[in-house]
Amino acid sequence: MNPLKSIWNFLSSTYHRLGSPREFYTISQYTTPVFGFLFLALSLFGTYFGLFVAPADYQQGDSFRILFVHVPVAWMSLFVYVVMATAGAIGLIWRMKMAFVVTICSAPIGAAFTALALLTGSIWGKPIWGTYWVWDARLTSELILLFLYFGIMAVYYAFEERKTAEKATALLAVVGVVIVPIIHYSVEWWSSLHQGPTVFVEGGPKMPPEMLLPLAFMAVGFMFFYGYALFLSMQAKVLDNERKSRWVKEIVSDKTR
Amino acid sequence: MSPSQKKRFAIVALIITGVGAATFFAIMSMQSSFEYFRTPTQINQDGFDEKQTYRLAGLVRKGSVTRLEDGVTQRFGITDCESDVTIQYTGILPDLFREGQAIVTIGKFSTSEPEERNGKGALLIASQVLAKHDENYVPNEAADAIMLQQANKCDDAEGAVDY
Repeated sequence: MNPLKSIWNFLSSTYHRLGSPREFYTISQYTTPVFGFLFLALSLFGTYFGLFVAPADYQQGDSFRILFVHVPVAWMSLFVYVVMATAGAIGLIWRMKMAFVVTICSAPIGAAFTALALLTGSIWGKPIWGTYWVWDARLTSELILLFLYFGIMAVYYAFEERKTAEKATALLAVVGVVIVPIIHYSVEWWSSLHQGPTVFVEGGPKMPPEMLLPLAFMAVGFMFFYGYALFLSMQAKVLDNERKSRWVKEIVSDKTR
Repeated sequence: MSPSQKKRFAIVALIITGVGAATFFAIMSMQSSFEYFRTPTQINQDGFDEKQTYRLAGLVRKGSVTRLEDGVTQRFGITDCESDVTIQYTGILPDLFREGQAIVTIGKFSTSEPEERNGKGALLIASQVLAKHDENYVPNEAADAIMLQQANKCDDAEGAVDY
């Protein structure tokens, strides 16, 4: 049999299994701790290398090391939004229950990443730029992203009826996706105090490998943290959404016995 | 896809395209207001309004940093390698301030006569000076070489440089 075809079949069947709340609950019981462990391992490794092995920067000295948190959480603030909006679109088009759950559970995690990016950036800005905050295009658009996440969370809880709430939330997530390219290109389209891109640029990263390696570990680590936090939150959401179904009642009675 | 799914797909695609296009035109019509700073060339070409506060950025001109007689006020030129503006600032400069470093200065232009400032062009009285570090990260063993290279950046620049 064609290997590509069998890989596709596997992915397709996994996707459809995850589309069922019950199957998702079963599968995530196994994957969630794995994500958590990978997050811990990668971020511990990345932190050690970032703080003790990577050399200090020629102009910023040791204070540049906050980059190993700031950059991954800022990337994640955009990545989570894209996942959230894509899931929202899938939910709206195919009326897939689990897609809405992904959208709703991603919002607080994305908001936390955005808040952390703003906070670490501010702490970094004071000693290097000489100010905690300026209203340049990058900082302002990232702040708008934070309020967008808050808005998405607020819309979901503003409706009594769950199906209406899910659709309205997904729609806002889809509409808001225009902010992602604006944030990404803000430092290239307009002059800003924030630096331009270092890692994903033509001609390779403007950073030596001994700084790039811990950054990569932290970035992948935070990706697994998102998976871990998302699945934990989705498990709780699924149990709540499906509380009237038999399989949830069985789980609850097993746990309370 | 079923017909109703196709319809909903079209609606979602339409919404994204519509919002994207609206945002695009809104941004295009407000381009200049998203700029954080102006460059010395822009100021020297377009002139300035004495009542307005400006954010002006450039590289610290090599050999231009002087201290006035009061001991706390500094004057220095900033440049984009094409034209210069003189900055006057009273206060503590950021740690990263040095020759060739890109900085952002915020303040109003002086209304005094050119003779008072040695006949040089515009003089910005800055209330704030911020350092703009660039996207290059380099181990500090190479610090001296890079800083020398930065200080001399304008020597072999042809026309205005980016920062």
